[in-house]
Amino acid sequence: MVGLSLGEQHFIQGGIAQDLRCDGRKRLAYRPISVETGVIPQANGSARVRMGATDVIASVKAELGKPSLLQPNKGKVSIYIDCSSTAEPAFEGRGGDELSAELSTALQRCLLGGKSGAGAGIDLSSLVVIDGKICWDLYIDGLVVFSDGNLLDALGAAIKAALSNTGIPRVHVAAGASSDEKPEIDVSDEEFLQFDTSAVPVIITLTKVGKHYIVDATSEEESQMSSAVSISVNRQRCICGITKRGGAGLDPSIILDMISVAQHVSEQLINKLDSEIASAEAGDDDES
Amino acid sequence: MEYVSPEGLRLDGRRPMEMRQIRAEIGAVSKADGSAVFEMGNTKVIAAVYGPRQVQNKSQQMNDQALVRCEYSMANFSTGDRMRKPKGDRRSTEISLVIRQTMEASILTHLMPHSQIDIFVQVLQADGGTRSACINAATLALADAGIPMRDLVTSCSAGYLNSTPLLDLNYVEDSAGGADVTLGILPKLDKVTLLQMDSKLPIDILENVMQLAIEGCKAVANYIREILLENTKQLEFRRGV
Repeated sequence: MVGLSLGEQHFIQGGIAQDLRCDGRKRLAYRPISVETGVIPQANGSARVRMGATDVIASVKAELGKPSLLQPNKGKVSIYIDCSSTAEPAFEGRGGDELSAELSTALQRCLLGGKSGAGAGIDLSSLVVIDGKICWDLYIDGLVVFSDGNLLDALGAAIKAALSNTGIPRVHVAAGASSDEKPEIDVSDEEFLQFDTSAVPVIITLTKVGKHYIVDATSEEESQMSSAVSISVNRQRCICGITKRGGAGLDPSIILDMISVAQHVSEQLINKLDSEIASAEAGDDDES
Repeated sequence: MEYVSPEGLRLDGRRPMEMRQIRAEIGAVSKADGSAVFEMGNTKVIAAVYGPRQVQNKSQQMNDQALVRCEYSMANFSTGDRMRKPKGDRRSTEISLVIRQTMEASILTHLMPHSQIDIFVQVLQADGGTRSACINAATLALADAGIPMRDLVTSCSAGYLNSTPLLDLNYVEDSAGGADVTLGILPKLDKVTLLQMDSKLPIDILENVMQLAIEGCKAVANYIREILLENTKQLEFRRGV
């Protein structure tokens, strides 16, 4: 909840029109990003991402389960986001549920592809242990610790970092079990499989304020937005998902323009994120 | 099961009267009025304080004292087995109440009539003693927010297993079925503000266990005081005094 006076509102809008925002950034510049991995030792993988004051934690937990009948050769991934009341008193009780649900579905759309599992950022077939019988269920939980705008991008980055931090135990299947019996399995404590996260897209939210659009809006800037488009782009510059939020309508040509801008920005963001993740992982290894 | 080995070591290698490593940090949530992270071993909680500010729900406003509210929530990933619980289940409602009452005892509420103070605690990792960790985090956050208090409330738990009093139980020891005493004290005034125990204990042993918990609380209080002092020194340095 941001209470801004008329003068402050004009100041923000005027700054964006002149390509100089309140914190000195240009329209298409991100706030500093910091990544910390392995923050939740009990999870298979976890990461904490800070973008300016926005602070989120993502964790990945893997459990053995049964694949769905329709996709016997694919594992299951689900994303849940929780808005902690520490982030804003308004999230107390059930207050954060609506935002949590909106963020969860937006992230599922952007990262997991369609219902069939096609176009997912993660290789779902790598989660299968035995076709049609056993697979890994990945539970991705996000927690918003503090919100200062641009939650979707931060959560997307945190999930990407958490996935690259994730180790799935290797499962040995006892040979010779007949096909209709429950197979005997042995979950290894020592061997872990790492994910290939190079295909996981990043999410770029372009927030339209006045005639222009900006990336990585703070909560003050978000309060002035007319509409926002979140585009997830992977390393190959392919679009993996689009979500539009906000009340005002957008001209189709502007959307296409936004997409090409997002593709351009994504490259810098992916490189920045990858180097942050790599240095966080390296720091982690030194400690242990 | 053996919780204390013949050599006198516990499952995680501690001595019976040893606490887990504690770590605290002030200012984890940048825009809250006060905030802190508190870790006791693997248990890790964040507390944020908003207020004193205008009362949101006018019917709750009190003319002679401040309204203190507290919400406790656990992250989905905080426990060993992933759980998905709705907010406001009975356990968290009870803990919210306990924390609120404990903190209310030390806040000088009569100085801030017509206002409200919100305390939010979020458990990131639970490994026993979340109640104590939450109270310690809330104390730090309240101090960071500059809210007038009688004393720093600190809390610690102690238990009794294998005929040995144990300080600061972890999750395995906590769920072992022995007695678990959670104590909160005002260390300077030497007053107990919170006392909870489950299971049963002979009275003379309870005395020992409580004494142990009080020692634990005092150790936490010393640590919290150090952290606050360090934080104040840094603030002083930044202001260039």
